[in-house]
Amino acid sequence: MKRIIFTSTTAQKIYDDYFARVNRCIGILAANDQQEVLMELNSHIYEATHTVHPDNEIEILVDVLEKLGAPEVVLQPVVAQKKVRQATRSFNPKHVLQALYLNIFNGVGYFIFAIIYLFILCFGFLAIVKMIAPRHTGLFIGGEHLFAMGYFTHRPSGSFELLGDWFIATVILLMGIFYYFNTLLLRLLKR
Amino acid sequence: MYYICRMNTEFVQNWFSQVKKGTLSYIILNILNEKEYYGYELVQEIKAHTTIDVAEGTLYPLLNRLKTDGIVESKWVEQESGIPRKYYTLTTSGKATLNEMKKMWSALGNAINKIEK
Repeated sequence: MKRIIFTSTTAQKIYDDYFARVNRCIGILAANDQQEVLMELNSHIYEATHTVHPDNEIEILVDVLEKLGAPEVVLQPVVAQKKVRQATRSFNPKHVLQALYLNIFNGVGYFIFAIIYLFILCFGFLAIVKMIAPRHTGLFIGGEHLFAMGYFTHRPSGSFELLGDWFIATVILLMGIFYYFNTLLLRLLKR
Repeated sequence: MYYICRMNTEFVQNWFSQVKKGTLSYIILNILNEKEYYGYELVQEIKAHTTIDVAEGTLYPLLNRLKTDGIVESKWVEQESGIPRKYYTLTTSGKATLNEMKKMWSALGNAINKIEK
């Protein structure tokens, strides 16, 4: 992005400070998305100020930035939208979690997404724990009411583990199914 | 005894704020239906055609949303200054969407006119 050069050093400082704030707000985005946001704001500021007499530079610049609004507030929806798009493209867990963090209050859909994602992480965790503590991890059945899946430090008396070595394959399969449904859900939410 | 009927200013302001929020995308689509505009120019055009004081910072997230929905598309056009402009234009789907919105707007206007009589 080409910086705008102002005649007044004060105007230049105001401009640079504004873009420092913008950069802090969009740092979470992919490089091309960051560039897009910076160029769009820069273009708006340039169009509003380039014909202004140097004497009025500060006044006009402050007015333009005020109308654009605080980057921390104004860019929040843009960052949230772009992050979801990045997450659905890459499905990188880091981007997915960031998109969730930014959108968790944007509707019940994202809340459901977060819960399903938590299940996926738990299943992955259980597959690892099964290898470390096979006797304490699995799908336990016992008595009349016990039907539990997970890790138990003290196995309930009379219970037995149903799946044995198939437990790992089962949780990996569940991870795949949940992952598939979450991908569909995120694509639906992105619309 | 005299009663002074005063307008509920707060209610009217809140209502108008909602109306503005709801109609801004319709206004933008109508303006973009004429020709392509870049962001700053679009703001000026909205100001010229309406009395709405657009919060400029809210315009870009809205344009971004319209782009995600496939209603508008954008392209960067290089300028001599070295600072390019991002031009927005309606897509084919955007034009069809606008036509549907126009019908709804017209029906709503007619209904309100009838009620007001």
